[in-house]
Amino acid sequence: MEAWNLIIGNPVLNVLIALSHGLGGSFGLAIIALTIIVRLVTWPLNKRQLNSTKALQEMQPKIQELQKKYGKNQQKLQQEMMKLYKEAGVNPLGCLWPMLVQFPIWIALYQAIMRALATTPENLLDLAQRLYSWGIVNQAIPLSSQFLGLDLGQTASANGGLGMLLAIIVGGTMWVQQKMTQAPAVDPRQESTSRMMTLMMPVMFGLLTFSFAAGLGLYWATSNIIGIITQYFITGGWGNLKFQSPFQRASAKGK
Amino acid sequence: MFVVSSLRAHIMHAKQLRSMDSLVVAGWRPRGLFAVIPSPKVATTPCLSYRMKQPKTLFLVVIALLPLVLVSCSLFGGAPVSGGWSGTAFHDGIIYVGTRDGRVVAINSSVVAINASTQELQWQWPDTATPRSLVYTTPIVHGDLVYVGTYSGQVYALTIARGIERWVYPRTGSIGAIVGTPVVANETIYISSSDGRVYALDTTYGDLKWKSEPLADKLWTSPVIHGDTLYVSTFDGHIYALSLETGERLAWSFESQAGFASSPVIYEDTIYVGSFDCHLYAIKIGSDVPMWKFPQEKPAGKWFWAAPIVNEGIVYAGCLDGRLYAIEAGTGEKLWEFDAGSPIISSPILMDNLLIIIGELGTLYVFDVDTEFEEEAVPLRAISIGASVKSSFCAQDGLVYVRGEDDSIYVADIERGEIVEGWPVSLTTEK
Repeated sequence: MEAWNLIIGNPVLNVLIALSHGLGGSFGLAIIALTIIVRLVTWPLNKRQLNSTKALQEMQPKIQELQKKYGKNQQKLQQEMMKLYKEAGVNPLGCLWPMLVQFPIWIALYQAIMRALATTPENLLDLAQRLYSWGIVNQAIPLSSQFLGLDLGQTASANGGLGMLLAIIVGGTMWVQQKMTQAPAVDPRQESTSRMMTLMMPVMFGLLTFSFAAGLGLYWATSNIIGIITQYFITGGWGNLKFQSPFQRASAKGK
Repeated sequence: MFVVSSLRAHIMHAKQLRSMDSLVVAGWRPRGLFAVIPSPKVATTPCLSYRMKQPKTLFLVVIALLPLVLVSCSLFGGAPVSGGWSGTAFHDGIIYVGTRDGRVVAINSSVVAINASTQELQWQWPDTATPRSLVYTTPIVHGDLVYVGTYSGQVYALTIARGIERWVYPRTGSIGAIVGTPVVANETIYISSSDGRVYALDTTYGDLKWKSEPLADKLWTSPVIHGDTLYVSTFDGHIYALSLETGERLAWSFESQAGFASSPVIYEDTIYVGSFDCHLYAIKIGSDVPMWKFPQEKPAGKWFWAAPIVNEGIVYAGCLDGRLYAIEAGTGEKLWEFDAGSPIISSPILMDNLLIIIGELGTLYVFDVDTEFEEEAVPLRAISIGASVKSSFCAQDGLVYVRGEDDSIYVADIERGEIVEGWPVSLTTEK
């Protein structure tokens, strides 16, 4: 645990507090700024994922052709599909490592938000042990947890109507992002699975926003919005968002 | 978030691949971690444990992992567990202290000293009907009552004889978490609250005499009385002066760039207070600029969290960097320092000519204030308590009464340099 704090936890915490001081004492702006910084730092990974997703989406018509051609010979179909992936330079497992790399950053951000706000006396005392001797960091303490009417240290549910709005924004932006990155389905069964996943994740994160500090919800919402913007520019559009279902898109392309 | 949705997109494609065998056939060779995990299907072939024929399962595992990770960080990697750090008060042979589970207990020290196994509690409060709350304040004994503020935002007056509730303020609701120990003067108890106000209550009946305007986002420090004025330090870097009679803000206040971490202490019209910028400030009442700040050049390693004490022109200030500093009150010059080896969270106390401090790791140090040290002080005694200490403590008749974070009361004999026989007494077992 000490190694974790030394390498990731405390640096993220101190940068967050320094950003807050630099942004006029606004902890909410600091969370947004840190989210952007994290996005920039992990940009090479994100770009790789986006390109991979885009390539997968573009390959869909070819996959459909292969299915028509080798539908009765599953082994041959799979061999041909892997050849296709290889030719396109797409690794179907390519997103796993970037995901594993980003998990620690995500956890560190969560911990930094909770620690920086120091909502209990023990938390404040604990914070003292984690701060660097930077003047800018110490002068920023204690941070104000207020941002746009939200108390970022309290759960979204404790923030009343604004907290609910935050949860809706988190769920809504996540749904949009899911739809944009959604791979076109090739059959109704796959479409059903895809639709279930597309709905489940936003609902789950909306509920999580209710249970955790609003600061984390702000991070999620910001992260989603940045994700939507980058997705739009990298893949050149709204992806599957404008179709009611991914199967529709596949069908439309097939015509 | 993006990672998850991207993963899902890949998995939807991967559904079309029925087994890893086809990946291998197609020329994709497992590498890295994938290569060393044996396949349960083909034991002789190194293969990926992530079975492509179960993409949906994998996805569900991943999304189930997310809340698990979040809950894990909040439980194990986030904030420390709250338990309150009520200190000890000693009066007429009885020790009064708040416990980690939200009780206030009175212990007859003489009975415990005779027979530790009895763990004699005079009384404990609250009874089962009253909900418990964390207690950060040190109980205050005044007359025949003991006063305690709770983290749920009520002030209670209990009888010292039996711990029976005499009054509670407010009668319903809360005034905001009370963290700083209240002060009593002129039959009035003054409380700083997390709603940013100071409250003045009648000590006998608990009636509200006045409440101040909101002074800050929250007040976690104790107020201090000097003459007919009450002074309070705030986390946003102010020291306010309030009329003791009416609670109105007086003309003078002091503003600093950094917030004040400690409660203020007043000695000869000068306020001494620790700051979040790792300095201790001396501020002449009525002045807009600090008289001095310590250290004068480079800041200390950590905050001055504990309120300092002043004796015969010398300020003794414990710092979270683990050092005790003796500072000339008039000039801010350092006289000597001492490394306690762990953060000093509790304020030092004086017993006659003995200065007593405790480090967080539980070692108690005793200094003779009449001794003139060079650069580094040498303690008369060092007594290991064996438990972490964050609470304030008290001393009387050569004995020091300390509550450890293990929720036990320790009594240290300064003269003999050891814990008195029969102690510690655990407060965790209710009778």
